[in-house]
Amino acid sequence: MQLENANGLGEVLKMSAVGVDVLLTSGRTLKQGRGMEIGKLSSDYFDAVSICEMDESTLKVLGIEDGDPVRVETDIGSVVVFGKHDRRAEPGVVFIPCGPYANAVTGSDTLESGMPGYKSIPARVFPAKGETVPTVEEILAEMVGVG
Amino acid sequence: MTKEMLLTNGRVYDPMNRVDGEQKDIAISDGKIVERVSGKAKTIDLKGRMVMAGGIDMHSHIVGSKLGFGRAMCPEDHRKDPVPKTKVTRGGVGYTMPNSYVIGYRYSAMGYTTVIEPALPALKALGSWEELEDVPCLDNGLLPLFCNSMITFNYVKEKDISGLAGYIAWILRKVGGLGVKVVCPGGTYAWAHGRNVRELDSEVPDWGITPREIIRGLTEATEALGLPHTMHLHPLNLGRVGNIKTTIEHLEAIKDIKGHKGRKQICHLTHMSFESLAMHEDEKAKPEWKWVSSGGLELAEYANKNKHFTVDLGQITFGPATTMTGDGPFQFTLYQMTKNKWANICVDVEMPGGAGVVPYFFDPKSPANAVQWAIPLEFALSVNDVWRVIMTTDHPNAGPFTKYPLVLSWLMSKKQREIWLEKVHKFATERSTLADIEREWSLYEIAITTRAAPAKILGMHDVKGHLGIGADADVTVYDLDPTKTNLADDPEKIIKTFGESYLTIKGGEEIAKKGKIGRTPVGKVWTIHPEVSDELWERANKELEKMINRWYAHSFDNYPVPERYREHLEQKVVIDSTSVSA
Amino acid sequence: MTESEKVFQNVVCPFCGCLCDDLRIEVKDGKIVKNDEGCAISKAKFLSHDEDRLSTPTIKRNGEHVEVSFDEAMKRAVEILTAARRPLVYGLSSTENDAHREAYKIAETLGGVVDNTSSVCHGPTVLGVQESGEAAGSLAEVKNRADLVIYWGSNPQFAHPRHLSRYVRAEGEYIGDPKTGRKIWVFDIRKTISAGVADEFIRIEPGTDLEILGAMRAILRGHVLDIEEIGGISVKSLTEMVEKMKEVKYGILFFGLGLTQSKGRHRNIDAAVRLVQDLNTFAKWNMMPMRGHFNVAGANKTSTWQTGYPFAVDYARGYPRYQPGEYTAVDMLARGEADALLNIAADPAAHFPRRALRHMAAIPIINLDPKRNMTSLMAEVNLPAAMAGIECDGAAQRMDGLPMYLKKLIDPPEGVLPDRDILKTLHEKIAKEVG
Repeated sequence: MQLENANGLGEVLKMSAVGVDVLLTSGRTLKQGRGMEIGKLSSDYFDAVSICEMDESTLKVLGIEDGDPVRVETDIGSVVVFGKHDRRAEPGVVFIPCGPYANAVTGSDTLESGMPGYKSIPARVFPAKGETVPTVEEILAEMVGVG
Repeated sequence: MTKEMLLTNGRVYDPMNRVDGEQKDIAISDGKIVERVSGKAKTIDLKGRMVMAGGIDMHSHIVGSKLGFGRAMCPEDHRKDPVPKTKVTRGGVGYTMPNSYVIGYRYSAMGYTTVIEPALPALKALGSWEELEDVPCLDNGLLPLFCNSMITFNYVKEKDISGLAGYIAWILRKVGGLGVKVVCPGGTYAWAHGRNVRELDSEVPDWGITPREIIRGLTEATEALGLPHTMHLHPLNLGRVGNIKTTIEHLEAIKDIKGHKGRKQICHLTHMSFESLAMHEDEKAKPEWKWVSSGGLELAEYANKNKHFTVDLGQITFGPATTMTGDGPFQFTLYQMTKNKWANICVDVEMPGGAGVVPYFFDPKSPANAVQWAIPLEFALSVNDVWRVIMTTDHPNAGPFTKYPLVLSWLMSKKQREIWLEKVHKFATERSTLADIEREWSLYEIAITTRAAPAKILGMHDVKGHLGIGADADVTVYDLDPTKTNLADDPEKIIKTFGESYLTIKGGEEIAKKGKIGRTPVGKVWTIHPEVSDELWERANKELEKMINRWYAHSFDNYPVPERYREHLEQKVVIDSTSVSA
Repeated sequence: MTESEKVFQNVVCPFCGCLCDDLRIEVKDGKIVKNDEGCAISKAKFLSHDEDRLSTPTIKRNGEHVEVSFDEAMKRAVEILTAARRPLVYGLSSTENDAHREAYKIAETLGGVVDNTSSVCHGPTVLGVQESGEAAGSLAEVKNRADLVIYWGSNPQFAHPRHLSRYVRAEGEYIGDPKTGRKIWVFDIRKTISAGVADEFIRIEPGTDLEILGAMRAILRGHVLDIEEIGGISVKSLTEMVEKMKEVKYGILFFGLGLTQSKGRHRNIDAAVRLVQDLNTFAKWNMMPMRGHFNVAGANKTSTWQTGYPFAVDYARGYPRYQPGEYTAVDMLARGEADALLNIAADPAAHFPRRALRHMAAIPIINLDPKRNMTSLMAEVNLPAAMAGIECDGAAQRMDGLPMYLKKLIDPPEGVLPDRDILKTLHEKIAKEVG
């Protein structure tokens, strides 16, 4: 736990202050399901899970267009994904489909239940113009240090 | 190579062949009892130990979705009863809901070789076949439920006994069943409306038929097909004070139905302890638990006068139990009463409303539980014909099957009953005649109730439940010389003797010795295949396809249990039912 | 139609817990060319089943995955597992029941831990049920009778794409027109696509499920709440909802990971169970977890009959012990306890959080899967497996407990075996080593 927090804090300190505080949640999508069944290393899967959905006002505050990269940070770590407009979304909650990008910022503490906290994680979203969204292989390597 | 064995100098109790404690040798060859074996046979000198056929339990919940749900819901049930693996056996857990392997081991260690699961939702049969593969050391059978199915109701409403028989035949063949089970006929269906049906002539919602018509229809269809096992009945109004009246009404309602080829019995009444609750004679008495009294004697007197049914006890044993029945509304009532955890498991159109599971603790200090305990004992000890009475605990409803030795001690020893009447609430004495009963069951009677009679009632008596020539070599040797002990005076000895066999042989193989499992073969699953006329078979397929595709949430084609899960286990008994008209 | 063309009817779809069994699959020249009736994900599964496969067994040498024979991969797997002091066997939800049977044997023989993916989906549901029970529904009963359908923290249009059309927006014997005969309510923190097709969408504040369920139960029991709103819902409208719930003929609460994974976890389920139990005093109510992987419910079932417990089972003492939070996979990994992982038909590298993953990278992994996936990238040993329900048969369990038989439609790639056969061989070899 110590280690995870320390890492996350380090990342936060590096960043500029223009971020939007949100609750990050993860879950299934149709595209993620299809991508998974085509293959986890397919471009379909990458396209489906390397995104963060948010409402229009959040995009505006961040000053980005639909599809621009954003950095999502939590106490656990940070990850760069494509910011996507979700017309049904409301301010305050953003969504990353379940998969490695969501996991990169999810804690492992199960509170003695076996279940980590995949939902409603306090997070901050930053614009990340110029940054690259890592591939599935890259994000795995980043998380564990192997390829 | 022929596998031969000779058991010499056993004291044999084999009621089907009228053998009552005679010294006899038992010869075994290739899994069967034979006249004689060659000199090469393995010989075991039993030195006067008691020998019976392998035990048969005709009503014990050992597989299926209710049990699985109960097991998963109650880890606290198993935790205190770990069973480490050995070189031969798998690891596992007890207690009221052991894992599948431990069920097989513990039954076998007690000398049982055949156990019937009495409540199969037919559409979930595949799961039960998978599970049976992991219940070692036992032959099995499954009784599909027909009592709350919309398909049954459809035929009953049309007064179409042939159609109903065609449906039963189709289910038995397609999913592998042994007979017809009836649970709370119409009442569980009503539970889909949040209601119950408690009386025989109350209407079942949506259908305009009555439980009386349902049980009559199912009994008539069973007899028309000539199924070896009679309609296996768990009546309405379970667990309600005064329900002995309802129970006898059920038995009266079908009394006139002619048995197949003139057989006397047409019904098996199961776990009578739960449905023989009488009301204490008092002007203030109401159908409430504080007014409960034993209906055991009343049912026994009825049974002595009326021969058309057989009974198993569902003997209440004290301590933890897990109640699980296809009687959803009863389980809900029990949940409301106890506030214990409650699971409801509805089963599509075969048991809308659903089965239930509620853990329960039978407390010797509880007035109601004490009376419940007295009921089956009073009944069993008051019935003239033991061939119609089977000892069970409706495992795990009234307690786990591992309590059988204790139950036998109550049946065999007045001394033991007196000890227990002292321990339990005084209502057992005041609200039943148990304290006055002198009768003690003999070893011969024990061999009837645990072997010969269940085999007969199930229709497996050609090869099961006895030690005559041609029988399956399922043999139990107990570590007791019956000529040297008066068991009635020594209840602890009864418990010890029946708690652990000296030797359990199944299909000619030594399975357990002094409680240790040496081999874990997978047994056979017994099924009945009624051969009906081509016309009826065609009709059943056509009509069932229509009903299943309309009402279920999966297809007719995917309903049957595929052969690949059955062929290596199944012991098919083909019966000729071609006389049923289409 | 030529001999190389075959059509299979009533095929069971091995994707999600719906196990839709009405697919029509066309096979031509040993290739699946058409999936009628299946959802978009089902189509992807069947039509792309041969893409991105693990083609041959591999082991890692100097950090590289090297193709080896089946026997060589097996030998390495046995070495790893028999050398391990705390092996973890994990996965199982995307394979058939017979494979599970072999996995438990392996765990028992090794004295290791065996857990299935339910620990990261409906594990909290199991815990909630262990606390209070469950009035469990069935899909046919829902189809025939339910006049109020609630989805709570579940987005079926995405995760179970035909759930609504097959069981809810479908005709039922006692429902008549499904559009008017029943109402659908969605409770969620986001307006999901499923919320869009519901009659009512009730947006709740993240992490307030437990409070809302508790408040509903209090209202049901006639308690007066001296607050205006809870979880973003006014007490007034919550009271109206409860009144409607009391008056239905047959209600069903479908719940998803929005409830099991949120703050409160199993306590949320306990609260939902209690609410539904209480509702039964007024009207018929049942509930059902929306099980994700096609056989995750089966994994709970097989584990329960064979070990006594539904998941999180430890065989270290020669008999099964059960403790979620201890013997659950994420905990075993995040705590750094497991020293080898046998992963079967799951992709923990794609679904476990960072810290668990970091430990996975530090221990040898033996991975069985039909496809290349994220875990295969990390695995010391990869063993390609046949795809259950397409390339090998087997049994699986639908979300409502119905067992279904999966058909074999085509042969697996040459040399590729079903999970059950690989695991059986593996167990035999391990048993020989361990004695």
